[in-house]
Amino acid sequence: MSAAVNRAALLVLAAALLAVPQFLPLLNAGFWTNVVTEILIWSLLATSVNLLFGYVGLLSFGQALYFGFGMYGAALAVTHWNAGFWGGTLAGIVAATLMAVVAGVLAVRLTWHYFAIITVVFSLIFYFAAMSAKPITGGDDGLSFSAPPVFDAFGLKLTLADTVTQYYVVLGLTALCYGLLWLILRSPLGLRFEAVRENDRRARLIGINVYLCRLTAFILAGAVAGLAGALFAFFGRYASASYMFYHVSGEATVWAIVGGVGTLLGPLFGTALLIVFRELVSTVWENYLFAVGALTVLVVMFAPRGLAGLWSDGLAKLSGRSASQPDPQAGAAEAPR
Amino acid sequence: MTDVVFALAINGLVWGLIIALIALGLSIIFGLLDIINVAHGDLFMLGTVGGLVIATATGSFWVAIVLVPIIAFALGLALERFVIRPTIRQAALTIVTTFGLSMMLQEGVRATYGPQPRRMAPPIGGTVPLFGIDYDIYRLFAAIFAALALAAFFVFLNRTKLGTRIRAVRHDPETATALGIPVARVCGITFALGTAMAALGGVIAAPITTVEFRTGVDILPFCFMAVVIGGLGNLQGTVAAAVLLAVMEGLVTSFANPTIARIVSLAIMSGVLLFRPHGLFAGATR
Repeated sequence: MSAAVNRAALLVLAAALLAVPQFLPLLNAGFWTNVVTEILIWSLLATSVNLLFGYVGLLSFGQALYFGFGMYGAALAVTHWNAGFWGGTLAGIVAATLMAVVAGVLAVRLTWHYFAIITVVFSLIFYFAAMSAKPITGGDDGLSFSAPPVFDAFGLKLTLADTVTQYYVVLGLTALCYGLLWLILRSPLGLRFEAVRENDRRARLIGINVYLCRLTAFILAGAVAGLAGALFAFFGRYASASYMFYHVSGEATVWAIVGGVGTLLGPLFGTALLIVFRELVSTVWENYLFAVGALTVLVVMFAPRGLAGLWSDGLAKLSGRSASQPDPQAGAAEAPR
Repeated sequence: MTDVVFALAINGLVWGLIIALIALGLSIIFGLLDIINVAHGDLFMLGTVGGLVIATATGSFWVAIVLVPIIAFALGLALERFVIRPTIRQAALTIVTTFGLSMMLQEGVRATYGPQPRRMAPPIGGTVPLFGIDYDIYRLFAAIFAALALAAFFVFLNRTKLGTRIRAVRHDPETATALGIPVARVCGITFALGTAMAALGGVIAAPITTVEFRTGVDILPFCFMAVVIGGLGNLQGTVAAAVLLAVMEGLVTSFANPTIARIVSLAIMSGVLLFRPHGLFAGATR
């Protein structure tokens, strides 16, 4: 029964997301459409944390690095090579993926605390480097550019200047990304990821190459973060080194865990909750970040498995069965050190 | 030129001893409770702000240096009880709770104390000739005070009953419970002690740094570097690494810009993590 409910909920979600530009402008022209666009983009960064922590049990605190590479890949390709929207997006993904290959080869040799710390260290190195390489990156001020059209042929021209077009472009690419991840995670590779998360020693004994599995997940997570960065660069029409700071990684980790790691769509809801909350409170209270921090602490205290955990517990209660879902964090928390 | 290099090296040493105090607080929390405390830098920030506020209110820096650690200790006890303990079973969650805590501390200070950075006049003015250069007396005092606080902490840890209990719980919490040690209370006290050390570092550092709600963000990576390079759980290693790193950054700063210095120490840290994951001083006493 819960599977059917989930499927129905997914349809409702898809319909709601498709209808966003039709209804939200009634409240405040364009503003909320842009907020939802932003949520979709940031949810990809949270998903990249989730891929590592929720599926192979490695807690990364440095995904902002690949986000930043995605941003600069797109921005530099557009400004220097005159790349279009698609070329820029691709350049962002490629830049982030290459960085993830280099960092991953070293980082996935470590686990748990050591892994968390080395990912921060790598991101800090490039953050400081990008900050001081002002001629290339613009440093703190960033690099502004004008967004090329998304599609310009047969007399039809789609540009990101139109909020609704921008929303559908981002929605399409985000949905495509989630779809691909869904396929990957239910493939034999995805099962191997989970085996590594649950118990890396047993996984090794049944012939899984644990190192390669973790590296694959790391590179995949880098590519997803790169897509998020490229989209965010086009969304804001600029790239800035400040997005590579560890605070951005931290926020993504928080969104993923608040949403519920180990579930594909959990991070989307975590991101949505915290960003919508932030937007609502920031209109009435200058020090809204205090409330965001408090909400974060409260969610973790009262729903340690995140929103996804609340949802599946709720469903289980409705159908009169006890939750039999394994705790996705348990495996990670007990990872051998 | 040698004067500049020397002055920067001494500055590094002074700063390193203060950082060592803060990083040691991080290290005992990490070693005992197994949590990565992302809010630790903000506890330091709270110390600098509290120091400035109390010193201005009472007119004496010395009142602040006594009061701030005591207040921080009480705050630490409360934080551990109400925020850390409910999530202690899942180490990953504590990163999220401390991250939320960090946002609350920063924003709380910004809302009450204000967003503008301020400077604090050192309580002891003047300079003293030191190997051919005129050196700030307060900085020397700060270094000596930090060193004394570090020494006092190690004496406390190795010579008192409570210190012995803390070491016992670090070593093996289950056996400690079986021997009748109140493990939960020891954990609470340890967290509070770590908080107090960060805040004490903050008060000492207040006259030689800017006082604002963001200072914790810059100090946190440096403390983590000291903890990791010294070896996770190796307390003496943390102190040695903090001093080494700060002196090295001071020296590199004399011929390159501070950002390059920071990149160099981060690169060293990656090397240590990858090739000597138990720290530079592995094999030293735990």
